[in-house]
Parts: sequence; C-alpha cells; structure tokens
Amino acid sequence: MKRSFFRNNSILLGLVFLLAVVSLISLQLGSSFISFERMINILVGQGTKSDILIVTKLRLPRIILAINTGIALAVSGLLLQIVIKNPLASPSLFGVVDGAALGAIIFLVLFSSETGNLVFPVEWQPVAAFLGSLLAIFVVFWLTILDGRGLSRLILYGICFSALATALISLLMIIGPIHRASQAFLWLTGSVHAANWQKVVISSSALIITAPIMMLLSSSMKQLMLDEESAQATGLTVKTSLVLMVILATFLTAIAVSFAGAVGFVGLLAPHIARFFTPSHGLILLFITALTGALLVLGADFLGRIAFQPLQIPAGAITAFIGAPYFLFMLRFKNVFHRR
Amino acid sequence: MPHLTVLEGEDRFYFKLAFCSFFLIILMVASLHFGAEIYTPYEVWNAFWELETEASIIIQTLRVPRMVLAPVTGMALALSGLLLQTVSGNPLASPAFLGVNSGAAFFVLLAFSFFGFTSLWFLSLIAFAGALTAISLVFLLAFSFGASFQQSTLLLAGITLSSFLSSAITILLATNETTLEALLFWLSGSFANRDMSGLIIVVPVLFFSIIVTLIMKSSLDSLLMDDESAKALGLSIFKLRLFFIFLSALLASLAVVLAGPVAFIGLVAPHIAKNYAGLSHLRNIPFCLLFGAHLTLMADIATRILLSPSEAPLSAVLAFIGVPFLVFLLLSKKRGVVG
Repeated sequence: MKRSFFRNNSILLGLVFLLAVVSLISLQLGSSFISFERMINILVGQGTKSDILIVTKLRLPRIILAINTGIALAVSGLLLQIVIKNPLASPSLFGVVDGAALGAIIFLVLFSSETGNLVFPVEWQPVAAFLGSLLAIFVVFWLTILDGRGLSRLILYGICFSALATALISLLMIIGPIHRASQAFLWLTGSVHAANWQKVVISSSALIITAPIMMLLSSSMKQLMLDEESAQATGLTVKTSLVLMVILATFLTAIAVSFAGAVGFVGLLAPHIARFFTPSHGLILLFITALTGALLVLGADFLGRIAFQPLQIPAGAITAFIGAPYFLFMLRFKNVFHRR
Repeated sequence: MPHLTVLEGEDRFYFKLAFCSFFLIILMVASLHFGAEIYTPYEVWNAFWELETEASIIIQTLRVPRMVLAPVTGMALALSGLLLQTVSGNPLASPAFLGVNSGAAFFVLLAFSFFGFTSLWFLSLIAFAGALTAISLVFLLAFSFGASFQQSTLLLAGITLSSFLSSAITILLATNETTLEALLFWLSGSFANRDMSGLIIVVPVLFFSIIVTLIMKSSLDSLLMDDESAKALGLSIFKLRLFFIFLSALLASLAVVLAGPVAFIGLVAPHIAKNYAGLSHLRNIPFCLLFGAHLTLMADIATRILLSPSEAPLSAVLAFIGVPFLVFLLLSKKRGVVG
C-alpha cells in the first residue's frame, strides 16, 4: 500500500513536471524564438511590444487551450471506457464529435454570403459546434432509452449518428464554396491554432465546474469496474453513477471539440497510457489520465508547429499518427486493460 | 436458428427470383433515363443508333457504364457483407464497419501519391492488400480481448481502425494538394466517369465467388450453428472462417476499385435478403446479390437527381438509406439481432 502510494505520487509529480517543461518550451519556440531573458522581461512588464503580443496573445492561450482540450478528452475517454466496460470505447464513437463537426460545418456553409464572407462573426462557430454536439447527445440518448437494453448500446447509436452526420458533412462540403470546404477540412482534423483568451476562460471554467463531480465519481470507479451486482452489493447506486458519468463525458467532449475541432484518439489513448503507469483506480488514475491527455495534445500541437516549419500540421493529425502505432501495440500487449 | 430448416415451396422461390430479376432490369433501364437530363424512352432508344447527338453521347459514354458498374459493385459488396455476417456471427458486420473500405482506400491513396497511377491490375492488387491487412487487424484486435469478448468489440475495433485510417487519408490529402482535387470525389464514392475496364477483373472474380459460395453453402450454413455442433460435423471452423474472410475482403476491395469506398450496401442488402428468403445460404445468396444491385442502382440514380445538375456523393445517399435501416435493426427486439 505504502509503495504504490509513493510510486503513484512520483509518477504524478513527474507528469506535472514534464507538462511544465513542455509548456515552457512551446512558449519559447515558434516562428520566432523568445529567450529566457525576454520572457522574464515580459513577466516584469518590460518586454518589447511584439514579444508581449506573441507570448500573451498567441502562444499562452494556445498552450492553455491545448491542455484543457487534452484533459477534457482524456477524462471523457476514461469515463466512457468504464461505463461501457470496453477498452476500445472513445469519445469519438458516441456521435458527439461528428455532431459538433456537423454544427460547425453547417455554420460555415449556411452563413456564408454569395461573396463567400461569413454573415455572423466566426466567434460563433464554437457555439454552433456545441449545439451540434448537444443534438448528437440528445438523439443518441433518446434512441438508447427507446431501446432499453442498457448503456452499452449507446455506442451503436453513436455510430449511427456519426454515419449520418458524416454523410451530411460530405454533402454540405460539396454544396458550399470550395474555400469553406478547406476551412472545414482543417476543423475536422482538429487544431488549437485559433485559440484566444475567451475560449480559454470558457473551457477552463467548464473543467473547474465539473472537477468536483469527477472527483466524487472517481472514488466509485473501482466498484463500477466490477459487474453490476457486485457493485450494487457495495452499496453504490450504480445506475445513477453510470448515467452521470456518461453525461459528464459527453459534456466534456462537446466542450473540447467545440473549441479545438475533432482532435482524435486522445480519449482512446490517454486512459490506456495511464493504466500502463499505474495499477491504481480512482482519483490517482483520473489525475494521471488527465495529465497524459494534456501532454498528448500539447505535445502534438508543439510538434505540429515546430517540426515542419513553415508548414503547420494540425494537432489532430499528429495525435492520429501517434495513435496508429499504439493501436498495433495494443495487439501485442493485449492484457494492459485486464491485467489488474 | 429458427428458420434454417423451414424451406418454402420451390415455386415460390423461383417466382420471387424472377420478380427480383425483373425489377433489376427495370432499374437498369430507368438508370439510362434519369439524370441531369431526363430522356423519354423514345429518345433513349434512338440514342443507341445515332452518333454525335447530345443524347447519344450522354447515354452511350456516361450512362451505360454506370448502368453496368453499379449492379456489379452492389453484388460484390452485398456478398461480401453476407459472408462477414455469417463468419463473425455478428449481424452488424459489414465491409465498411470492419475497416475494409478505409484499408483499401488508404493503400490505394498511398500507392497513388508515391507511384502515380500505373495500372488497374496494380491498383486492384494494392486495394486488396489494404483490405486484407485492415480486416486481419480488426479480427486480431477483437479476438485479442478474448476473455471479455463482446459482440460490439469487433465493431469497435473496425470503427477505430477505420477512423485511424481515414485521418491518415485526411493527412495525405492535406499535404498533397494535387491529389486532393482528383481524389476527394473518388473517396466519397461515385460511379461518375469511372472506367469500365475494371470489370475485366471484377466480373470473373465475382462470378467465381458466387460459384464457390453456392458450392460451399452447407459449410456456410453450419457456421451459423454454434461451434460445437459444427465441429461435430467434422468441419475445421477456423479454416472455413479464414477462407470466407479472405473471400469477402477480396470482393469488397474490388468494389472499392470500381466505385471508391461505399458503405451500407454490405450491411443492408444481406439483411433484407435474410428476411425475404430465410437463413439458408442456398436461398438467400441470390437475393442478397439482387438486392445489392437494386440498392446501388437506386442510390446511383438518386445521386444524379438529388443535387442536379451537380452530383451528390454516393456514400452520403447510401447513408441516408442505411442509417435509418440500421437504427431500425438495432431497435428491433427480435432475438438474434445484436444482444
């Protein structure tokens, strides 16, 4: 007991440290390099105007948004894998991501004027995406309740909704003007390049509001991993917890994809990597998963920004490239999920 | 399996078969008439004997190829779907859901961007390699979770792999702008401006597969039973499964070569066939083929009319038919449908 406590905490500390280091480096590097001295200058209020602009207006919100996106997607993936009791569950399977994509693309196509300008300011795009994901959640839940054969059916109806949404998206992309299609394409891969403080504030507050609920739920994770009868025997109101978890997970995904687009595979990968680090359940697993997710998205965004300059690769493309080898890796170490 | 031994009268079977074949011919003829320009039967008839008029060019060079390509693709996909459903024991199995389409598409795209278009044989081979790789990975992954194997795991594995591959496709397209223009439409599936020469490969393979599956009908039937009873009949379940998975990957990848990645035919057609003709494979294979052809032809006609004069993507049209069907299938309380 003592040893695992020590081990978990050192992993947690290590991850926090790593996250801080990566954040700092990605604050410095980019199309222009900002040295430590100049950073300190900015901190004490003596930086040059362009330095201040680059750091506070461009890079800092981008970094924080990447971290928020990662946390939201990773936690959402963890919750869903527990609810569905299937290690392959991930937020993108529940229709929420494609619902958000549909909302965003309807916004881009329908509110473009003849000349190709947007009728509404582009700041409204996340709202459209969020509405789209809410629609997805509503439809998928409604069908699952109609079905009445348990929460594991969510995934099947999620797949249905995704298929329909994808069809509509491809139709809209052909109808709309071509530059809108390429804009939509970028959104579909997922990127945090359009970050600003407004988005940071909204996504951060969403995370802060849901944090206590997540922590409360995390204590019951271990029991929920058992079958329902044993879980009930330990005095847990299983159904309420499960439903709460799904709602929370879909809400978090909706927030994440509304701002950052369809960044894929974080919700699938992060919980697996976290389980690789720790045998524990509950709060510690939740924290490690969240940190792993944050590192994944931040690292992907950083790599995409730096590695192929002057080309900027969207973060979603990088996470997909990390995801594919991991998928094969899962074949070899198939017991990662069931070992404990 | 309740219906397995209940055979209907021979006459009834042949009547249904004749009816469905007749309907196929009607659809093929209709496919010549409808499109951005709608022609009367008289004009169509004349178009075959005239040269150089607008109608004759449209019908002879644009519509006749589609009239042939659509049913062949539909048949290949439908048979592929039926085999997969039988082999996996999963009523939701279909080539698109098990990663076959995106595997083939990904490999074709890779070959296309690295070697350019070389030959049809080469692309068919590449597509088949991609399809086989993807479907093997999906089955391996699903069975590697052996202890907790659920029906939906196979589906999850397939869809996860598909989404990996389709994001890889997105990346390839995003970095290579010249192919984006050429392949974006191909990737959403269509019969417009397709080469008829693909039929040289596809038709013989399809014909061969139909013969083989009809010969092996009783082995297929036995796969529907539980493994124990099949073993009692002295069958090597594993080899049978492997063979049919191989065959269905072949069929689906050839369909990708003809029409690009097309979903839902492989799911919907076998189900309608099973409802219409029962679970015995001797009975439902012909109907499965016919319904696949019907669906594809109807969808192809719809793509031409829906957004006329421009063309709607085939996969989108099929999704509008397929998704409600899938939801209906999932909601139905019948035993044996995905528990």
